[in-house]
Amino acid sequence: MQLTATTAKTVLTLKQRPHIPLEAEVLTPDRLAFKTRDEIAALPLVLGKRQVRVDDYFDVEGDGSHELEIHGDVGRVKWIGRGMTRGRIVIRGNAGMHLGAFMSGGAIEVDGNASDWVGGEMRGGLIRVTGNAGGQIGAAYRGSMSGMRDGTILIGGTAGLEVGMRMKRGIIAIRGKVKDFAGLQMKGGTIVLMSGAEIRTGAWMVRGTIISLAPLRLLPTFAFTSAYDPTFLNLYSKCLAPYGFALPRAGKEGIYRRYMGDSAVPGKGELLVWQPNSP
Amino acid sequence: MRGNSILRIVGGRVYDPANGVDGVVRDLCICDGKIVADVEAGRTIDATGMVVFPGGVDVHTHVAGAALNFARAMIPEDHRRNLAFVRDRIRHGGIGGSTPTTYITGYLYAGQGYTTVNEAAVPILTARHTHEELRDTPIIDKSTCVLMANNEIVLDLLEAGEYERAKEVVGWSIWAAKAYGVKAVNPGGVTAWKWGKDVKGFREPVPGYSKVTPADIVSSLAKIVDELRLPHAVHLHCNNLGAPGNVATTLETMKALEGSRAHLAHLQYHAYGGDDWTNFRSESVRIAEEFNRNPNLTTDAGAVLFGNTVTITADGPWQHLLHKLTGRKWGNIDVENETGCGVVPYVYKEKNLVNAVQWAVGLELLLLIDDPWRIYLTTDHPNGAAFWRYPEIIRLLMDLDFRREQIRKLAPAALNRIFLPELNRCYTLYEIAIITSAGPARALGLANKGNLGVGADADVAVFNNDKDAAKMFSYPRYVIKGGEIVIEEGEIRNTVEGKGLLVRPHYDPSVEDFIRPLFEKHYTMSFDNYPVELERVEHAEVRPCN
Amino acid sequence: MGGKVTCTLGEVKNRADLVIYWGGNPAECHPRHFTKYALMPKGKFVPNGRKDRTMILVDIRETPSAKAADIFLQIKPTKDFEMITVLRAIIKEQPVDPAIVAEIGLSLEQLRDLADRMKKAKFGVMFFGMGLSMTRGKHMNSAALLTLAAELNAFTKFVAMPMRGHGNVTGGDVIMRWMTGYPFGVNLARGYPRFNPGEFSTIDMLIRGDCDAALILGADPGATMPQPAIDHLARVPTITLDPKVTHTSRISRVHITTAVTGISAPGTAYRMDEIPLPLRPALKSPYPTDEEVLRRIRQKIACKPLQLPPTVPMMTDAE
Repeated sequence: MQLTATTAKTVLTLKQRPHIPLEAEVLTPDRLAFKTRDEIAALPLVLGKRQVRVDDYFDVEGDGSHELEIHGDVGRVKWIGRGMTRGRIVIRGNAGMHLGAFMSGGAIEVDGNASDWVGGEMRGGLIRVTGNAGGQIGAAYRGSMSGMRDGTILIGGTAGLEVGMRMKRGIIAIRGKVKDFAGLQMKGGTIVLMSGAEIRTGAWMVRGTIISLAPLRLLPTFAFTSAYDPTFLNLYSKCLAPYGFALPRAGKEGIYRRYMGDSAVPGKGELLVWQPNSP
Repeated sequence: MRGNSILRIVGGRVYDPANGVDGVVRDLCICDGKIVADVEAGRTIDATGMVVFPGGVDVHTHVAGAALNFARAMIPEDHRRNLAFVRDRIRHGGIGGSTPTTYITGYLYAGQGYTTVNEAAVPILTARHTHEELRDTPIIDKSTCVLMANNEIVLDLLEAGEYERAKEVVGWSIWAAKAYGVKAVNPGGVTAWKWGKDVKGFREPVPGYSKVTPADIVSSLAKIVDELRLPHAVHLHCNNLGAPGNVATTLETMKALEGSRAHLAHLQYHAYGGDDWTNFRSESVRIAEEFNRNPNLTTDAGAVLFGNTVTITADGPWQHLLHKLTGRKWGNIDVENETGCGVVPYVYKEKNLVNAVQWAVGLELLLLIDDPWRIYLTTDHPNGAAFWRYPEIIRLLMDLDFRREQIRKLAPAALNRIFLPELNRCYTLYEIAIITSAGPARALGLANKGNLGVGADADVAVFNNDKDAAKMFSYPRYVIKGGEIVIEEGEIRNTVEGKGLLVRPHYDPSVEDFIRPLFEKHYTMSFDNYPVELERVEHAEVRPCN
Repeated sequence: MGGKVTCTLGEVKNRADLVIYWGGNPAECHPRHFTKYALMPKGKFVPNGRKDRTMILVDIRETPSAKAADIFLQIKPTKDFEMITVLRAIIKEQPVDPAIVAEIGLSLEQLRDLADRMKKAKFGVMFFGMGLSMTRGKHMNSAALLTLAAELNAFTKFVAMPMRGHGNVTGGDVIMRWMTGYPFGVNLARGYPRFNPGEFSTIDMLIRGDCDAALILGADPGATMPQPAIDHLARVPTITLDPKVTHTSRISRVHITTAVTGISAPGTAYRMDEIPLPLRPALKSPYPTDEEVLRRIRQKIACKPLQLPPTVPMMTDAE
């Protein structure tokens, strides 16, 4: 019997918070869409070295669909949305490590905090987190040549170390302050830092753009090139505005100072740092 | 390890080139780990319609030791890209890919019918480490070659014209490393690399020396190995590996070896024409012609397959160049007074002209060298491709249509740089049995391997007779190691332990009085800790030198 | 990017004419390092020993090692990464910002002089300690130094090596690599090795409370790890194998006294440059060796019903 995915949602509600991390790469719309409620309930998760079932940890409502909603604090549940290509996951609560890693399409929304490796090596799609996120957002896994290759990651709060490490394309925008090494070894794409970052931003970057609306402590290997009005920001503004990330235009209020680096590589990445006009 | 099972394999078509048996249907009897004339009881394996080979022998591979283990840590991305191995009732878990972990190395070799391998590069100083890894490499028997061509004690002696003493030092070193043979890598070049240089000419002094040249090192070591009566000839990685136009060096090397036995490792990497990367081309025809004229030589292909791998060699200067050419990460360890090692991950691409030429040259040499008893199947694992891809090469050698199909995928510009499209030779199963087993066993001087005659080790591989040779040789139906069934219906059933093969050449023990003070001056550990004790080699089998 | 260019210590002894210690205090922490390997010994190509070598110390404070140095470069705390990055730019004759360079605590002239000495050395070596690898930037500080050493090979021979800690840390690293393909931070829960430092490294797992039992071998985390990690060890069943009573053994449910490796237990230790050294026991111990205890634990576990790993598909990186 060929089942068709219904338009209704699949809803998982966490019954008990696992005492050690639970690995749940099976929780993607791709894997759930054509399954019945019972089939979903029986899907395997991994708790430490033991295999468990979805319904050991979640109440399952509804058959499979392209829309998965997860309720509860799944901050210890790893790999949700791994490699997804389509559909939508909404998490009402915190999300665990590797959320949306390797995803190539669809959308993930988290109403809460996320952990490390959000969108690790993602190829496309959208991840939106209202709260804080951990480190290595959109980054390359250890040893890999490149991090995210396309897609969008939006973080409402703060973020950790090595945001966008070795990313090639795509956008990462973060409203809160970011820790060290944002854009480490970046090869392309754009990182928007609405509240700036701690230190070593853009370290060893080859290409790509980091925009910061707050002053940055620069590495000595970045050189000031010009103060200007980067017109391409219009495009980003348009794309980010619906999510509440407004980029100011150069003019009466201020201007963007452009720095190039990292000369240690030597690279041709750019840092655009917003400088408000003094009142 | 010798099994005690009694087995009779009936109805299979037996290919046993060591005894001139070419596809004859006959029974094979096994008892106490050996091939015997007949058995009375025991289990019968019905091999009707199947093909029976002697267990494979890899004459040149890098599966254990400091250099390979250094590479493992450098390429987590490669480990993640390939399927790993999950622990089960019988098997340990581990990593496959370009640099399999020790247990998996044993499973993968046995899993394609190989039962003996020769780890081709071991420094004396870290031989203890190599043997520890080989202890953890199950099923297969293992021999090792100790690195000698950049050993400064040996080079200093050759510089001073003290050939006889150099011979004693080599003899002592083989036993100290519990090795089976002698390896020479880029003779003189690795020593020069310790100052960031390479050797310039084959007949010019090595940097840092006034007299001794790569040619002297090559011919002296070949002579020493012959005079020590080692079962395996000097195992030589020529100078100028990988470089455009290196055909000249390789031809000169063959000349310098006249009168001695020698095994030229991974010949593919030494058969290039052109002056630089833009006019890089195959010189396999000239190399094969010269090789065919020199019956003192054996070689292995060092073939390349397209895809991801990691290159590991004691050839430090080449690895630095490769790192600069590709921009990929680079690892290097120089080993005091003895050798070095470089590691660079690499992708061979069909559309890359240089890679296309390399791919063709490996196959061309296998097809142009007319005596299959003198060229063996290798990829210089993991340099040209991982050893578990050998079946793909077998298919390219046996199946002309498939080979033509693959040639069509190359960039058209590559076609006038190679000879492969003009070669129509196809390997027979008998010839495959030679280049994967009987030939390398003979080159290693292992009369009891690659042999299904009465009295030989009962290392046997049984394959389905499949039109697709790649499939056939990837999934043996049965593999028997030392008389024990280790693979049955394609599954690992039993993980026996393999032997450590080594030699104890004749040398004057008083040479230690010469080495000890030099060692204490130039090394950084206690001399007594330098040689590996025999009991550190698991299931050691000391082979005769005669 | 990535990679490591190094050598065995005998190469340093025989060849190094420029020796740089970075973020370490070998005079007190590795007292034999100067005399046996790096500074004092007469080597094959440095026949006059100490006289033929230049020693430079880079650190944030003047330690006793500074007395042994020809040049002591005192830098501001947490500026190592910046300094190494500037050196990488200088050796390639790329521009750097002098005003920001000054924050390192050294002048641009001092850094240029250092870069110049590095390039002119015949054989340079950088040894780095925990002052580099365990301060802000951590693995990236080490990566920076390793990258600088690799890049210097465009000009001369240059290597770098970590000053590993006590015991057989290197041996653990070496064996993990041949058994699992990875040096540390390995998870075997799914029946095959996975690697992700930060996720699977010991301190991070303990602080997050990601494990529900612990087996401690050849280490005293109770004395060295951050308090939240120690608290978790005290919370879960912890088993410690150690010849002595330690901070860790005190918070363990079980402490098994074992023979002292190297004195009463044989084996192989790997030196910081990964050279294997045989250990030959000199004394007999009434206690079992670590190996024996582990073997016996393993035998006991083998008597229990076999628990096979989960059968869920393996996670591999898609191409």
